Amino acid sequence: MNIIVCVKQVLDPEIPPAKFKIDPEAKQVIPPPGVPPVISLFDERAVEAACRLKDKHGGTITVLSLGPGKAADVVKHAVAMGADEGYILQDAAFEDLDSFGIAYVLGKAIQKIGGYDLVLCGRQSADWGNSQVGSILAEILGIPVITLAGDIEAVDNKLKVKRILKDGYEVLEAPMPSLVTVSNEIGLPRLPAGVRIMLAARKQVPVWTAQDIGAEPAQLDRANAHTEVTGLSVPTRKTECEIVTGDTPGQAAENLASKLAELL
Amino acid sequence: MSPVSATYWGIPGYAIFWVLFAVAFGLFAQRLYFLFRLMRLGKQENRFDRIGQRIKTMLVEVVPQWCNLKTVTRKDLAGIGHAMLFWGFSLYLLSYVIFIGLAGGFGLSPVIEGTTFEIVYSSILDIAGVLITVALIWAAIRRYVVRPQRLEPSGEAGIILILVFVLMALNVSVVGFGYAAHNIHASWPPLGAALAGYLSGTGLAQGTLEATYRGVWWLHYIVIIGFMVYIPRSKHLHILVSPVNILFKPLGPKVVLEPIPLEEAESFGASKIQDFSWKDLLDLYTCAVCGRCHASCPAQLSGKSLSPREVVLNLKEHLLEAGPGLLAGKAEASSESQAKTMIGDVVTEEEIWACTTCGACQEECPVSIEHIRKIIDLRRNLVLTQGKMPESAQLMLANMQSRGHPWAGVQSLRLRGDWTTGLELKILAEGDSADTLFWVGCTGALIERNVEATLAMTRVLKAAGVDFAVLGDAETCCGDPARRAGYEFQFQIMAEQNIETFKSHNIKEIVTTCPHCYNTIKNEYPRFGGDFKVVHYTQLIADLIRQGKLKLTEELNSILTYHDPCYLGRYNSVYQEPRQVLQAIPRTNLKEMERSKNKSLCCGGGGGLMWIEEQAGTTKINQLRLEDVLKTGADTVVTACPYCLQMFEESIESKDIKDSLQARDLVELVEAAMKQSQSGGE
Amino acid sequence: MDNKGVLVCGEIAEGKLAPITIELLGAGRKLANELGEELSALLMGSQAGGLGKEAIAYGADKVYVAEDSLLDNYNSDAYTQVAANLCSKVLPSIMLLGHTDAGCDLAPRLNGRLGGGLAMDCLALSVDSAKLLISTRPVFGGNAHASMVSKSARPQMATIRPKVVPPAERDDSRKGEVIPVEGKIDPSALKVKVVDRIKEEVEGVKLEDAEVVVSGGRGIGSAQNFEMLRELAGVLGGAVGATRPACDEGWAPMTLQIGQTGKVVSPKLYIAVALSGAIQHVAGCLGSKYIVAINKDKEATIFSVAHFGIVADYKEVLPALTAKFKELLAA
Repeated sequence: MNIIVCVKQVLDPEIPPAKFKIDPEAKQVIPPPGVPPVISLFDERAVEAACRLKDKHGGTITVLSLGPGKAADVVKHAVAMGADEGYILQDAAFEDLDSFGIAYVLGKAIQKIGGYDLVLCGRQSADWGNSQVGSILAEILGIPVITLAGDIEAVDNKLKVKRILKDGYEVLEAPMPSLVTVSNEIGLPRLPAGVRIMLAARKQVPVWTAQDIGAEPAQLDRANAHTEVTGLSVPTRKTECEIVTGDTPGQAAENLASKLAELL
Repeated sequence: MSPVSATYWGIPGYAIFWVLFAVAFGLFAQRLYFLFRLMRLGKQENRFDRIGQRIKTMLVEVVPQWCNLKTVTRKDLAGIGHAMLFWGFSLYLLSYVIFIGLAGGFGLSPVIEGTTFEIVYSSILDIAGVLITVALIWAAIRRYVVRPQRLEPSGEAGIILILVFVLMALNVSVVGFGYAAHNIHASWPPLGAALAGYLSGTGLAQGTLEATYRGVWWLHYIVIIGFMVYIPRSKHLHILVSPVNILFKPLGPKVVLEPIPLEEAESFGASKIQDFSWKDLLDLYTCAVCGRCHASCPAQLSGKSLSPREVVLNLKEHLLEAGPGLLAGKAEASSESQAKTMIGDVVTEEEIWACTTCGACQEECPVSIEHIRKIIDLRRNLVLTQGKMPESAQLMLANMQSRGHPWAGVQSLRLRGDWTTGLELKILAEGDSADTLFWVGCTGALIERNVEATLAMTRVLKAAGVDFAVLGDAETCCGDPARRAGYEFQFQIMAEQNIETFKSHNIKEIVTTCPHCYNTIKNEYPRFGGDFKVVHYTQLIADLIRQGKLKLTEELNSILTYHDPCYLGRYNSVYQEPRQVLQAIPRTNLKEMERSKNKSLCCGGGGGLMWIEEQAGTTKINQLRLEDVLKTGADTVVTACPYCLQMFEESIESKDIKDSLQARDLVELVEAAMKQSQSGGE
Repeated sequence: MDNKGVLVCGEIAEGKLAPITIELLGAGRKLANELGEELSALLMGSQAGGLGKEAIAYGADKVYVAEDSLLDNYNSDAYTQVAANLCSKVLPSIMLLGHTDAGCDLAPRLNGRLGGGLAMDCLALSVDSAKLLISTRPVFGGNAHASMVSKSARPQMATIRPKVVPPAERDDSRKGEVIPVEGKIDPSALKVKVVDRIKEEVEGVKLEDAEVVVSGGRGIGSAQNFEMLRELAGVLGGAVGATRPACDEGWAPMTLQIGQTGKVVSPKLYIAVALSGAIQHVAGCLGSKYIVAINKDKEATIFSVAHFGIVADYKEVLPALTAKFKELLAA
């Protein structure tokens, strides 16, 4: 099975909320110093899903990341997990694209690679979380899409996907190629192990520009963006927390219970 | 008249002697050669460096039996008994060579018999024989009546006790019957002479005595060469192998972990018996089943299925079962025995993940078996090749990879460099240099309770006028949790990264509050090109007190007990300095736990176990250690390791005794004992 | 602009208008009024026809019904096909969908097909002076709010979670049109088949409906310890929730995950036990009336969003809390 996985490098979501700072003018987040970026957690799950399929059915996994040069780290991480090839899509024209723009660029790159049975994306990115790139990409490529996968299997040349619902799941069958967005229910991603760590460390990750993938400038023009962020703010959430005490934690608990019982 | 020179049914005694010897020796050599070949299945390892020092170590440990006597300091006096057996038997062995080999087999009996040398030597043997017998009886009572936890009443042990006793008895009999048969009236050797006297008095015919003498002599000979055949086929192989094992023991740090070379094949760590190094396989032969490791292992003591002794013995059994097939060149298992998987059947995953790498097993082992590296080799296979590990360990290791520290989830509370907020510290930026670096460690920077100790440390250092720098948020994990959990590659990457960081700032000396960082940077980084002077803060503070730069004047009025962290104590022999510091504090009563210094019981946090759940349904190791603390009646348990501190806080809270017992890092007491003005205020 | 009007993509549950549909109609009506345009609704399924009048009563001016049995259960390809076809005929300016199992799948696909502009999981919708839809949504796990706008792309789309906006008021006297949707679904375009649908039986109260939720995080330590939370929840007649890390560790099933990518709940009482308060989780419970935090780290972020807190080991607090509640409720 030939699988293409789209991964994104994001600011580490695990930081103390007090450290989360934004630049309201630029409508960007100011990264706290000394915190390295990480692979978006759902994208990592998508790589894991691809690796499981490769373990079972063989084939190749190609990883794409639209981002700056440092994004090579997440591509290498994917290689360390089990991916075979990886490319970064980097160009001045690729900056500040909206979901359609991103899907367009990814689509062009995927068409350049060709010969795929499955495209995997995370269900949403761990930063802006627009949750659309996967579905738009599927439309561009003209392939079916299944969202929120908790498990993916390949049976008799068809995809069998377990889609997570609010109170259960459904099992869907799709032809190949299709696009599937992956959710965290797929389970823990594997720890890069064995030779792959060294392989990944030494891997050269080629950079593709707009020209390399044949992206048309009109499609990337900011003026033609489908959505724009017009404002970014940090909500102030100041609740006065009343710390309930007692001689012992057990006593504090009793005091708390009494207080709450009165309120409710 | 040596019985060897007689003729039996037409066959010369010499022929019988040498044929028997040849057979026995042949079987002996064949077995040893077989074991040697099996050992050679293991990987290469260089233990041949500094051969002079090695030989010296071996002689010191073996000849005066220091290997056993070192354990006598804790009420295990069995070492004395073994020393008696060893020295006694060494004398006997020499006597066999002289009196049976030379005198008998080589026909030099006329030259030797009757000489003063022979009489003196035989007398010594008699006395030795008595001591040996005493030791044997003592051993038998211990093993079969007293039954201490570490000794199994095994059949093999019983056989050897009986056989050795039989040898002693036969030795006396040979002399006794010999004198009686040849009408020699002598007073020495005492036992032999006494027997001879008795026999003469019985009025047995000279011919009977002579025949019996010859019978006893040959029986004695057969038992001796029988030993030669038996020893390499039993646990008593340790008699031959242990000096060799001691010869090849690690000369520096006690746990020698080999880095994995970059261009390795598909498999990492040990999944088959031949994946271990030859030294590991030699270890397996060396085990004398004394059980000291078993009885000191915190996992075993708290009810886990792991026993270091069982790991060694099971691996030995596996080697003997699977070995022949491997020697014959069969790559895949064809027989039942080789179908056993090493990880799973021989050693279970549960056992593998229960080890805290505390080093008690290796400390206690009289024959220098290296248990820990085998466990880590097995972990390496599980993690690096099979991708199998407890989920909590996986989350920890993934976090090491993506965030550079093992504390997954903690970053939602504080970042690496947050502890420095509001403090006037020299935080190294790119291009800066510093002589002394205060290396904080992940736990000291990220976990609230341990941050308190870190802050205390900075205040103490400043008060003492120590010029130091910190890395702030540029500090990443030393790599210890990854290495102990078997995730070797990640460790290597981190080690190399850190060494580069140290070099880029021209660091000369590194002071740390964490023994794991201390051990890793001091003992393991040199292998990767990082040679720095590494100091644990207890050593630094002891030194500062000695120099008068730190004065501890405030009374603490506490009953203290000090818990030796495994990675500071056993791993690096730092026992005195923390105690010196504590004793410099006025009005403190330092009570030692029974299991202290190199007998200290692990807190349960090392070896990656801070992140791995202990086996369900067993006592937590930290609870076991807490009981040791409670026995001292102390109101404060002091330690010098962030994991130990965490473990004590957890166990104290679990037992709900916060009112009567508090856990403190040594540096916190030091600060408390400094005059307020000195410490620069709170 | 050729695009006019607000179109609500409704959902049918058990033969009735799903509560989310009524909420969307409420929000849609407001927007339509501000724009001075029409509000339409699209209902899909064989029972859609019978619900047209009700939708009108809740504020729709036009109700498009696609009565095809192929639409009785959510089918991505079928729903996308029908909705897209309708949109290209009706050309709405704004489209609203629920942030539900169906909506989360349909909205991005529809957006992709129509080339509009979509904001998912909106907290608020408004119309600005230029008559553009401003959608406010949480980003960076909830650490920030972003306002999004589609200057030219149409339709402007938004998904809203249940219970975020108030439901529409029913007025049976309202007049409107029920229009059947033309065209049969092209079966060849349905590439993805639904093979099975499993509803996981939840013991006791459903998380989303519970008045009391007791949630556990990374600090709980084991699956066994979750029993303490179950006991407390049981006494209070509530449900148990968990953070993603706790679910990742296998201590609680994924269906109990509360947070940005899990369930969002707004009970009267939310007891957060041994969880740090990472924003990804907290985003799932901020709508709660009272948030109580129990954590042994006094600096835990959860205390900055909680109304009450105890700084202690939860193992020492929960048993006493459960016992006291039991006592007080019995009285």
